[in-house]
Amino acid sequence: MRISGQVTWQFNIRRVCVVIVLVVASAAVARAQELYAYTPPEELKKLSVEELLDVDVTSVSKYPEKLSEAAAAVSVLTQDDIHSSGVTNIPDALRLVPGLDVAQVDSHTWAISSRGFNDIFANKLLVMIDGRTVYTPLFSGVFWDTQDVLLADVDRIEVVRGPGATLWGANAVDGVINIITKSARDTQGLLISGGGGLEDRGFTDIRYGVKLTDDAFLRVYGRYFNRDDLVLSNDTGAHDAWDMYHGGFRLDWDSSSQNSFTFQGDIYTGQEDETYLVPTFIPPFATAITSTDDVSGGNLLGRWRHTFAADSILTLQAYYDRTVRDSPIFGEDRDTGDIDLQHRFALGDRQQIIWGLGFRVTHSDIKNSVNVAFIPSNRTLTLYSAFVQDEITILPERLRLTIGSKFEHNDFTGFEIQPSARALWTPGHEQTIWGSISRAVRTPSEAENDVRLNPAGAPPGFVTIFGNPNFDSEELLAYEIGYRVQPINQLKLDLTAYYNDYDHLRTIEPILPGPVSPSRVDNKLFGHTYGTEISATAQPFKQWRLQSGYTYWQADLHREHGSHDTMTEQTDEGSSPHNQFFIRSILDLGWNVEFDSTVRYVDVLPFPKIPSYVMLDLRLAWLPRKDLEIAIVGQNLLDDRHPEFAPTFIGTQKSEVERNVYGMVVWHF
Amino acid sequence: MAFLKAFVGRCAKCDLKTRLRAWLLLSAIVLFGAMKVCAQTAPQPEYQVKAVFLFNFAQFVTWPSQQPSDAPFVIGILGDDPFGSYLDETVRGEKVNNRSLTIQRFRRNAEARNCNILFIGQSERDRVAQILSSRKGRSVLTVSDIDGFADLGGMIQFFTEKNKIRMRINLDAVKAGNLKISSKLLRVAEVAH
Repeated sequence: MRISGQVTWQFNIRRVCVVIVLVVASAAVARAQELYAYTPPEELKKLSVEELLDVDVTSVSKYPEKLSEAAAAVSVLTQDDIHSSGVTNIPDALRLVPGLDVAQVDSHTWAISSRGFNDIFANKLLVMIDGRTVYTPLFSGVFWDTQDVLLADVDRIEVVRGPGATLWGANAVDGVINIITKSARDTQGLLISGGGGLEDRGFTDIRYGVKLTDDAFLRVYGRYFNRDDLVLSNDTGAHDAWDMYHGGFRLDWDSSSQNSFTFQGDIYTGQEDETYLVPTFIPPFATAITSTDDVSGGNLLGRWRHTFAADSILTLQAYYDRTVRDSPIFGEDRDTGDIDLQHRFALGDRQQIIWGLGFRVTHSDIKNSVNVAFIPSNRTLTLYSAFVQDEITILPERLRLTIGSKFEHNDFTGFEIQPSARALWTPGHEQTIWGSISRAVRTPSEAENDVRLNPAGAPPGFVTIFGNPNFDSEELLAYEIGYRVQPINQLKLDLTAYYNDYDHLRTIEPILPGPVSPSRVDNKLFGHTYGTEISATAQPFKQWRLQSGYTYWQADLHREHGSHDTMTEQTDEGSSPHNQFFIRSILDLGWNVEFDSTVRYVDVLPFPKIPSYVMLDLRLAWLPRKDLEIAIVGQNLLDDRHPEFAPTFIGTQKSEVERNVYGMVVWHF
Repeated sequence: MAFLKAFVGRCAKCDLKTRLRAWLLLSAIVLFGAMKVCAQTAPQPEYQVKAVFLFNFAQFVTWPSQQPSDAPFVIGILGDDPFGSYLDETVRGEKVNNRSLTIQRFRRNAEARNCNILFIGQSERDRVAQILSSRKGRSVLTVSDIDGFADLGGMIQFFTEKNKIRMRINLDAVKAGNLKISSKLLRVAEVAH
């Protein structure tokens, strides 16, 4: 009975198998002719008219994301990615980008970098908001607290890992972050959102977009937020709460079929609690002072775009930017003016040329203290630049070569040349292989030339760090390869590997032998870093998207002969995680409910000693009506608190990131 | 039971054949499932792009304000529909000047009234001159990818050049229909005279 039963069972199974396989196979053959790649309308609707016209309608995977065809390690964070994560500030949004290393130091300070060398004063990443450089020549890095935008109006954040110096210039050494807001045409109507919770004590955004004429659109917006103190490792409050008011506008006007204009501006002011450890003349040569620092600023930008023909476009842009910071240990007023010209045109069928000219002038006025001083305390710096790049199609649809160089002149090191060569090979419609060799430099900052820093813990003058007027540019020669593949419609993979060869990296050299000595900034570190970045996005169902990223980084740095700096080698090798991993799920549960979850692992930082951590972020949103959204967001849900970084150079406190839960309502009509 | 175990590979008695068969069945099921996901009625890529263009036209073209503001904005398709359900998905939940969008399909020209945009399918190729002359001066944006459409008096014609979609706009026809096309579109289109 049992045996015969099994025979029948197997017999049936065999039949069932054969039938199913045949049905599926014949259906597949029958459909092969008519089954086209399905690009969700939401994806295509995001594109501008120009981009839609650029979609190759014969190939399946030549997806209109033009960046996916770039011969560089590029990731794009879309408005949808940002919105579905529920984040309330740019650094938290950047945590969603594969390959970026984002660590919060205190409530209003972050250390953000790509491909190593992370620090509060990280200096190898260029950051722009709508074409305006927000990287400060003060320390060649970014004050992340004042880089604030209305997140609902962000169109996308483009992140290039690796050098982008040929197009963007000095300091785009290990990455470029480009935050791009929507055209005023796409932000019409009234948007009101607000919320609050444990760490985000309260925040509100108001934006109103209006159509002025058929071709002119304006939006005005205001934003306020107030964030709570983080905690110290002994569970006491860190005294680093802050708030910020921010207002702005953007006007987009297509004056004729050839000309379009953009005018935009921002103004902001904020107050930030902080505790500083400053040096004193009496033991223990350190005392803590608490303060409330003021930060404020504003900017105004105009851009003219002239279309000679569909393949010849000229852009002229000018902006003015002012930033003001005031604290007991340091104050800075900075005014920057910048003008940029860019022209892109086709030369014959096979060549796309892009060239540009730029001029920037920046003036700083610094308020000194015993702790931090700049000599001179006033500086005006000018920067002249030019670049040209040629994209040559060697085999149509198959092989493309991009060569170009930036030429810059700065007041510290004179001329700098930053060339690159990139090749992109598309062997099949679903695969792209690229490689590049590029040179980038990180030009000296004002701090590296002018600073006189007296750290806490020693009487002022004993271990002072002095700037060096002969400090030279840090140099990088980078070799990258990448592979992108879309094996099936629902899955995209992106792999990158790189080898970076650095020279003249900054060291801080003791002037005298012995343990207590003043020191001076110098260029006596060299070595290489290498790593890989893997990211995958999958959409198994229309309602479910998955994104994940893994980043591996390794550094091997050495001191030149004659260098006595025993610290920098350790800090540069130890301040970025060797391994990072995240996976994110964006799920539409139906019934107008969305559920987003992210798990992130960050490896230990050997220096400053930070243990590894795992974070879990969740967002649950309900859209009872098309114009209304109610969401609850939890961040860092797995632990009460954990440190992510530690202060460097300036004696602020080492805050720990706490669990955060907040609710928010968005009303758009 | 042995068969189920074959899947998980813990069945000591299962021979290679059973296991193979089990995997074959599983793959078939997975393949079938994957096919179902793929089989969303995707039109040709060019029509996916054209569908999104039709939706964009609703924003880039200004109609004389004759219709009540609560009436839906209608995109009509005359003749064979190359879009499948894609156009419907494109406009789902969208609004133009606070008006919801709907798609209507027509077999005959006479039925196609009260549209804001009318896409004329390839099946109407032989009747296109007739259709256009019957609509002359009406505030309906006529769109098609029939050859010579713009020169015959159609307002926007799609054509393909180097695998990319191009537009040809007949400004006289647009003007006669009392419509206004944004410079954003004009900038990237060819103008028929």
